[in-house]
Parts: sequence; C-alpha cells; structure tokens
Amino acid sequence: MTGPDVLPGSHVPAPQAGDGPLVVACLRIGDLRPAVDPLDGSVTRDRWGVGLPPADAAALEHALRVSAAWGGRVVGVCVGPRSVEPVLREVAALGVAVVRVPAADEADAHRYVTELADDERALARTLLAAVRPFGPPDLVLCGDRSVDRGTGALPAYLAHELGAAQALGLVALQPNGPGALLVERRLDAGWREQLRVPLPAVCSVEGAGVRLRRASLAGALAVDGVPTPVDRSLEVEAAGSPTGDPGSVHLGPTRPYSPRTRVLPPPEGDDPRLRLLALTGALVAHDPPTVVQPESAAEAADVLLDFLVRHGYLDAVPGGGVAPSTGDPTA
Amino acid sequence: MPEVLTFDAVVVGAGPAGAAAALALARAGRSVVLVERGPFPGAKNVYGGVVYGRVLDDIVPNWWEEVPVERWVVRRSTMMMTGTQSLSVDFRTDAWGSAPYNGMTTLRSHFDAWLAGKATGAGARLVASTVATGLVRDGAGRVVGVRTDRDGAELHAPVVIACDGVNSFLAKEAGLLPRAEASHHTLGVKEVLDLPHGAINERFGVQDHEGVDMEILGCTREIPGGGFLYTNADTVSIGVVVSLPQLAASGVRPEELVADLKAHPTIAPLLRGSSLREYAAHLIPEGGYDTMPALASDGMLVAGDAGAMTLAAGLWLEGVNFAIGSGYAAGRAADRALAAGDCSARGLASYRTDLESQFVLADHKRLRKAPSLVLSDRVQQRYPGLLCDLAEGMFTVTNPTPKAGGLKLTRAAAARYGVSLRQLATDTVRGLRIFG
Ligand SMILES: Cc1cc2nc3c(=O)[nH]c(=O)nc-3n(C[C@H](O)[C@H](O)[C@H](O)COP(=O)(O)OP(=O)(O)OC[C@H]3O[C@@H](n4cnc5c(N)ncnc54)[C@H](O)[C@@H]3O)c2cc1C
Repeated sequence: MTGPDVLPGSHVPAPQAGDGPLVVACLRIGDLRPAVDPLDGSVTRDRWGVGLPPADAAALEHALRVSAAWGGRVVGVCVGPRSVEPVLREVAALGVAVVRVPAADEADAHRYVTELADDERALARTLLAAVRPFGPPDLVLCGDRSVDRGTGALPAYLAHELGAAQALGLVALQPNGPGALLVERRLDAGWREQLRVPLPAVCSVEGAGVRLRRASLAGALAVDGVPTPVDRSLEVEAAGSPTGDPGSVHLGPTRPYSPRTRVLPPPEGDDPRLRLLALTGALVAHDPPTVVQPESAAEAADVLLDFLVRHGYLDAVPGGGVAPSTGDPTA
Repeated sequence: MPEVLTFDAVVVGAGPAGAAAALALARAGRSVVLVERGPFPGAKNVYGGVVYGRVLDDIVPNWWEEVPVERWVVRRSTMMMTGTQSLSVDFRTDAWGSAPYNGMTTLRSHFDAWLAGKATGAGARLVASTVATGLVRDGAGRVVGVRTDRDGAELHAPVVIACDGVNSFLAKEAGLLPRAEASHHTLGVKEVLDLPHGAINERFGVQDHEGVDMEILGCTREIPGGGFLYTNADTVSIGVVVSLPQLAASGVRPEELVADLKAHPTIAPLLRGSSLREYAAHLIPEGGYDTMPALASDGMLVAGDAGAMTLAAGLWLEGVNFAIGSGYAAGRAADRALAAGDCSARGLASYRTDLESQFVLADHKRLRKAPSLVLSDRVQQRYPGLLCDLAEGMFTVTNPTPKAGGLKLTRAAAARYGVSLRQLATDTVRGLRIFG
C-alpha cells in the first residue's frame, strides 16, 4: 500500500510517520440537512448541502488543541465522494494533513458511503487503514453523532480495532500529562463526570464547548484548487469492503416495523367466553416485570443474557457461552 | 501588522458578475483572487429563476452543452390578474427549445458554481467563506485592496472589482454608491415548491426539458410589484417582487403575498399537491439607469447588482445576464488599465464606454423610463382589472342581448376602474415610446 499524498502547499508541514504524537480526526462530511423520510427512514442527501457537522468540527478543534499541547500532528480522514473536497480543503487550510477514501464508483458515491456507514465496523477499518501510513494513532477523535442516521457505533469499533481506551460523548478534553487525557462528560440533571483516559484512546465529542478556528487567508489560498489526496490503494480494498463481516453491525434496508402475523391454533370448546379467554390469554397468570439492580456492567450483561436464555431467545452453549436460539421463542 | 497578499486584481463576490470578471482577468493572464463570503459560489444567492444565455456565447462557446440547466424555457406567459380573473398572453416556440436556446431555468447554487469554476479553471484563485470587510486605501486615497475577516488579513491589488451585489458596502465605502434609497429597491420573495417532473409537464403543457416562464401583474394587492412562476426540473419557483417603501407602509408581510398568489384560482391547480422546499428573500436594485452609481474610481470598478444593473422593466426581469456582461467588461477594462499601468478612474474609464456600446447600458438607457411607468398606480392597480373586465366582456355571450362593441366595453371597464380614455391613450403612447 502506498502512503497518501499530503495536501497542501509549503506553509503546512507535511506530517511524517514518527513526527510526534499522532492525533486523528475522523470526519463525517456530508449533507448537513439530509431529508429523512418519516415513514420509511430512508435518507436523501444533497451534494450541495455538504459541510462539516458541528460535532465533527468540535472534534477537529479538539484535535488541533491537543496536538498543539503535545507538539504532535493532526490527520483528518474522511470517506466520501469528490463533492466533499471543498470542505476537506478548508480542513487542510488549518494545517491538517487530509486523506479522503474515495467511493469506488464516484457516480454512485452516496450509495457507497451509505453502505459503509451502515457497517460501522467496515468503516472503522477503512478509516484506520487510510491513516496507517502516518503511524499508529495516539488519539482518535470523532463527532458523537452523525446527522444522517449513523448508528453511533463507529468510535467503539475504532477502539476495538486499535485496542484503545474509549470515552464517548465528551464536552471537554485536555491533555493530562504525557500519555493521558482529562475529559468531561455530561450526566443527567446537569451533572458532569470527569474521566482520566489513558492513551491510545478513541474519544467522541459533542458539537459544543469549542468553536472550530478559521484558517488564515494564506492557508485558505494555499489549498485553493489543490485536489485532496486520495488513497487509491484503499479504494480497491474498500470497494470490496467487508460489509458482510460476521459479527459486525449491519443495518438492512429500512422500513416501518410490522410484526409478522402469528397463526394461533383455534381455541377448543364451544363456550364463546372460554374461547375468548383462551385466545386472549386473559386471566392467565404472567410473570410480573422484574427490576434488577446489578452492581456492575458485567453483572448486568449476565442478567440480560440469563433472561434471554430463560425465555428461549438464546441457547446456552456448553462451556459457558450463548448463541442465537434455534427454536421459536414465541412458540 | 495584518497578513498581506498581493495580486493583479481582487474581485469581491463570486456571483455571476464576479465570476465573469475573474474569468476575463485570468484569461488575460492576470493573477486574480475571487473572494466569496459563502462556503461556495452561489451558496447564498437568490433570484427568480431564468437566465438568458446569449451573453455567454462569446464567453463560453457552446455553453449550453455544459451549463447546469433545469429546463429550457419554450413558453413565456405574461399574465394580468385580479382576485378572480386572469388574462394571459402566452407565447410558445420550438426555436427556444434547441441550441442556441434563449432562456433557461437554473438554480443559482449550480449556475454560479459552474461559472466560478470557469474562472478558477482559467487560473483565478477562489477564497470562499471569507468576507471582504472594507477597502484598503493608499496615502493618496486610492483603493489598493480589501480587508478580510480572516484575522484582518488584506488582499492588495492595483484594481479591486466590487461585485458584492445589491446594496454594495464596498461601492458605498468608495463613495460611488449613495446611501441606499428604499424607493430604488424592490424586495423579491420566493418559494421553491417540490412537484414531480411529470406533473409539471402535464400541468404546464411541456415535455422533457422544456420549461415555462410566467410573469404576472396584479397579484400584489395595493403594493406596486409583480409576480413570477418558473418551472425547474422537479420544482417550481413562485414569488413576488414588490416596492420596498410601499410594502413597509402597507404592513403586509411578503409571504402573505406569495400565499395569495399560490391560492389564486388560476395558479392553485398548477401547484396542487406541491410541498415547500425553501423560502428566500432578497433586495433587487430596480431604479434603472438614472440611479446607477459612477462605475469607476481610482483603483476600483463596480459591476452587476453592486452597480444597480438589474433590468427590471415590467416585461423583463433580467439581472444575471447584465451581471455577466458587466463583470466580463470590468475584467477586460481592468486588464487594459493594468497593461497601461494606469488604474486611476481615468485609466479605468474604458469600462463605461464598453458597457455603453453593448446591451448592458444601451438597454438600460433605452428603458430608463420603464420602472416609473411599470410601477405607476394605473399600470399596477387599474389596468390589470380593466383588461380582465374587457376580456370578460368580449368573451361573455350575452344572448339575446346583441354583443357590445369593443369601444363601449373599454369605456365601461375604464370607468369602473377610474381611468379616462385620455389617460389610457397617454399611457399607451408612453409605453410605445419606452418599449417600442
Ligand atoms: C427574487 C429575485 C428574482 C430575480 N429573478 C431574476 C431572474 O429570473 N433572472 C435574472 O437574470 N435575474 C433575476 N434577479 C436578479 C439577479 O439575481 C441579480 O441581478 C444577479 O444575481 C446579480 O449578480 P451579481 O453577481 O451582481 O450579484 P449577486 O448574485 O448578488 O452576487 C454577489 C456575491 O457577492 C458575495 N458577497 C457579497 N458581499 C460580500 C463581501 N463583503 N465579501 C465577500 N463576498 C461578498 C455574495 O455572497 C454573492 O455571492 C432576481 C433577483 C431577485 C432578488
């Protein structure tokens, strides 16, 4: 795999592998006001509405501040069609090296990007592959939510792929000595919690608290008309993107939820009242809802898994695991 | 000290005027920077919807093969209406439906970006998301550049071309444009409505990429102005243009006027089932030739709406073609001045001479009295009803009463609207003098 070119002109230092800590900003550049069909959830994007969403702009500003404090480098990476280039150029004007992973078929770029976004694990792998030539990231920043129906799972997948710590939905973030960050997250009722996050880390931030700086005039002019670098080697890799990887989150086509019809056996007997009771299940004793208060996340997961196994949604596997049930839990 | 970057020319505003000016300069081999406040050219621009392309013939040969067009206008309808009546002169021709075409509906975010792309393709530099906040002058008071909102950085050049649109702050700061006079401006408000391509074709009697341009009089209550309706590929642009001081005095909200027009019995069936996509409003410099500023000062030229060049003469509302024509001429004049080493007002004076020899100032000069006639009380408030009544009288079959003659009907309609036959004759002659 060849390394990506780095945009742009001489005023922007071209980051090299091994040039101080590496901060990566994953940028989801797209239509800022996509039309979402209220009935089937399908998203229509307009290439003229392309911009940097507030959360991504905040992620980029945090990346610039943290890297300045560390004396490091920032790389902005984005999967997108050619129409995102003007926005990436503005990012480059801030002295950020940018890489765009292009659509395999630019003409149908939005479908490609949508497919990648539907499979956040593939997206995470693609983004990390694109920045690999710069060296291993010390910190990866993303926006906490995308405006166009993302699942919000990307940071978790990024952290998993990198074997990094993760802290999500942050409002403040600052270096806490070498190798750590001090971050803040909103809690309910106006509370905030502070976390110390070790590096490497993946953090997602809210579009609040910081405002993305503007590039200098010289910076803006230096990038004018310069095509953003595209990692062609990734194009091939991404074209056959592992969207069907086992275990990855994959959203199918969206449509309103409509439960399958279930055929019930006719109730026995001739008494209409008894037939009605049998059909509706009225007057039959049911388990009341249970409130559980587990001590830890692991314990909570165990309680949930146990519930699903008990009700036939999962099968217990010998040796301690669980697997999707082969039977019909509703039978 | 602010950062300073130097070019041969600075063009402010990447609308049609600015893009054309930058294109002319870049083609002449000059270093030129185009400053645009929007995130991309056209991002912030509002207009009705029809561009007349003849002006592009010499600038972009065979432009129609690449311009981002919505529909080619083959039908042009001029409509007079009252609350319950309408009378149209409807013209259709095949000639406008094939190259070299006449007018097209196009969206500004597409069209302006395309034209600015021609300029950057020829070597102009574009800096978007940047506002020119003021002029930079030298010790002698000559304009030598602009300040920007990027940390106050400055762009310096022997010549600055202000293409920053109506109510140009740069032209005002240069002392070229007097304080905005409300009566020289109208307010245009419009809605873009989603309507399927097929429904547009059926309802407006067109097919494929054919489009319709409707100009409407009598749809703005007691406020002088007019309406328009243009068909795009799968949207329709509908709006009104109204006198600014009279709109303010009336207390009517402009969107109410658009709502009235949409609900008119002639218009409503055309729009049934459509849904609102966007709403926009913008000023138009409608004062015409007599209200234009001086177009050049030491180190500075003004083009397009910044120079009040929209032609709003009743039958016509043309601004984009006048902006392109004046912008391109400004770019060429700047190049000549740079070549001669004289960017003073005198060195830049060939700009005005050039505009006078072509349609930009020739049309404005010929139609200089049109705005006052078109916005006059009789044309606005009385003639639409008078003509509609006349048509209703002509076409209502009154059997067994014999048909009334045209003169009798005209007299009756004129009397109903308080117009004497003498005034009617005077206005007809006046109209013929202006438009004839
Ligand atoms: C409602 C309405 C309907 C119209 N209908 C039609 C029609 O159908 N056909 C037609 O031909 N004309 C029409 N016009 C007129 C037409 O829109 C204008 O004449 C035309 O846009 C003028 O072009 P311009 O380049 O001079 O200015 P603009 O198109 O206004 O462009 C000015 C540019 O300068 C930028 N700018 C402004 N200030 C600054 C600054 N300080 N720094 C940096 N950038 C700046 C703006 O963002 C903009 O891009 C209509 C106008 C309106 C309002």
